[in-house]
Amino acid sequence: MAIRAEEFVGIAPRPRRPFTLGEWVDRGTVFSWLMMAPPILFILAFVGYPFCYGIFLSLENRPVAQPGTFIGLGNFIKEAHDPVFWQVVRNTFVYTGVATLLKMVGGLGLALAMNQDFKFKNIIRALLLLPFIVPTVLSTVAFMWMLDPAFSVINRVLIGFGWPKPGPSWLGSPILAMCSIIAINTWRGLPFYGITLLAGLQTVPVELYEAATIDGASGWQRFRYVTLPILQPIILIVTLFSVIFTFADFQLVYVLTHGGPQNATALFATYAFDIAMGSGQLGLGAAVALAMLPALALLIVAITLYLRKKS
Amino acid sequence: MSKSSRRDVLKIALAGAGAAALPWRAKAAGPTITMLHESSFIKVFDEFFQNTLAPNYEKETGVKVVYEITSVGSLPTRDSTIIETQAGADLTMLGLLYPFLYQDKLLDVTDIGEEIGKKQGGWYDVGKEAGTIDGKWKAIPFSNIGQLMNWRTDWFAEIGVKTFPDTWEDLYEVGKKLKAKDHPFGFELGHGFGDNHGWLYPLLWSYGGHEVEPDGKTVVIDSDETAKAIDFARKFFKDCMLDDVLSWTDVSNNKAWYAEQISCTNNAQSILWLAKRDFPEIAKVTDQAMNPQGPKGRFHLMNSISHGIFNFSPEKQASHDFLRWLMDEKQLGAWYASADSYYQPVLHGYDNAPMWDVEPRNKPFRDAMATAHLPGWPAPPGRQLAESVAKYVVVDMFAKACAGASTKDVIKAADSQLRDIYRAA
Repeated sequence: MAIRAEEFVGIAPRPRRPFTLGEWVDRGTVFSWLMMAPPILFILAFVGYPFCYGIFLSLENRPVAQPGTFIGLGNFIKEAHDPVFWQVVRNTFVYTGVATLLKMVGGLGLALAMNQDFKFKNIIRALLLLPFIVPTVLSTVAFMWMLDPAFSVINRVLIGFGWPKPGPSWLGSPILAMCSIIAINTWRGLPFYGITLLAGLQTVPVELYEAATIDGASGWQRFRYVTLPILQPIILIVTLFSVIFTFADFQLVYVLTHGGPQNATALFATYAFDIAMGSGQLGLGAAVALAMLPALALLIVAITLYLRKKS
Repeated sequence: MSKSSRRDVLKIALAGAGAAALPWRAKAAGPTITMLHESSFIKVFDEFFQNTLAPNYEKETGVKVVYEITSVGSLPTRDSTIIETQAGADLTMLGLLYPFLYQDKLLDVTDIGEEIGKKQGGWYDVGKEAGTIDGKWKAIPFSNIGQLMNWRTDWFAEIGVKTFPDTWEDLYEVGKKLKAKDHPFGFELGHGFGDNHGWLYPLLWSYGGHEVEPDGKTVVIDSDETAKAIDFARKFFKDCMLDDVLSWTDVSNNKAWYAEQISCTNNAQSILWLAKRDFPEIAKVTDQAMNPQGPKGRFHLMNSISHGIFNFSPEKQASHDFLRWLMDEKQLGAWYASADSYYQPVLHGYDNAPMWDVEPRNKPFRDAMATAHLPGWPAPPGRQLAESVAKYVVVDMFAKACAGASTKDVIKAADSQLRDIYRAA
């Protein structure tokens, strides 16, 4: 380097403009970082910190109001011996799996229907979002009344058709209770799928359909070979979000059954909450909540990898 | 984006951040203390504190008392947050086993506990059970919100029953007849906060069953006594109740009561209170009674409410002085009276107070105090018991049996859960 440096000696240095804060801020890289800083700080403070603190707590025997002692994986070992924990694992997987599938199929159907031309299309599209907009607690209370044998419209109709009184106990039997919460979650989550997929459907170029029609494709074939492949990445993204929301669902179960009957509807979030807040076992509660992480993480990684490969 | 507009965005953002950082209220002149309370089912009770007690105290001492209300069921979360962040309220209402969970962060209030006991007729035994740890008062019990039997006098009379049955077996016989007449019973077997424990612990105790010995270590749920209580619960459920009770939470039996769907349940006075306000015809045929007795006696659940002071509060002394003032007969009696007898005093000094004459049907709640205990009794209250309650070990033991599982299996499951909980201690 020293040898070649001589060659540049003769070049006069360019006069540097004086540094001003205004111009520094106006630089593309600086400005974009400044704009990004608040959300990044926000995420670090309200997502990153609690998450790391959660991991830290899960490794401690940490009763509320008392100092914690490090016990390594003690909480996770205790969990593994807890039959209710395994019931919670089963419940959460069944709840998430079935509800997501129903939402996916139903949402796709909803989007296809909404993509047609009909009267009052815009108003009906807007109204469809209602279940998603109404606060979960409110809609759940409404369902509480609808599923209450004394007041249930569903049971009243069934009894009208000759079902023996007082009708099915929707939340009293473990299987029916799980079906009920899945149905309510599906009702609430369907518009999210529907509207997002509808947005996707509208990006499909009409020419593709025209070309397919000219080639003699039937309605099903147009759906199978044109619509579906184009929608696939959107379906994956929506599913990813939906699985995360459903897996970590809390409000619906907390309001409707509080995990009952006999823990048949207890999910990770409600069980973790009961342990952490109800019995003040912050460490064990954090461990229960974190136990859902590996499954979620695997899923997210798988879907992300798949999307990358596609693109 | 142009240069000027970029700068504008920044200016607006900075101005916004600056405004947010400004203190939005000036500090009050005198000391201010905050008392956290769960929203009361009886609205006038909260209003009496806000409109009478707090202003009176401020007038007398210059100390402002803020009464912060939190929704039903959210108190443990609020308290845990305050304790973990060491910021927030100075005094708090505490329910059931929470004084024991939070004991390390609660101020010793033995002087207040002893003083009030002496001045106001002495504590009920269960008062000491609910507020003291190793002889020291960590919280001052305020009341019990007792859970007793609520029954329909008209439907009971239809089958010739004029007084409430004295034993569980007698109640079972009545329930069988009433269910046959389409007036089933409804006792919560789901995951509520209180109405499930309200009758299941007393039932277990009245047959002689317990979770853990008084030593706080030896799990004794696996006993013939427990089995007898479970066998009773199973037939009581099958022959006397609605199937839906398995899913019930705390509001369910109230709804069923006003829908005239059930003829007997176990609840606080709120059923009668609300019936008198909104369903006067139902109120006329609603009566209340102590829990039936079993082979080993009659028991009730202490659904305790007490008040504690956080020991990290910057206003410890002011809070202590306020609690002493609040628990003085003049204030305490008036506060109880504001809610009739929804809050049952834990002090003998109120045994014959006029509040009991407002609604004589509430008197069983007073009489039940002598046989009331905290959940998990006779084991000392603490973390393990709280975990057992939060995991619904006892409730689900009964509920599973009612749903069809064998007595042996449900006891085995509860026993193994309790052993896990107590082993980790």
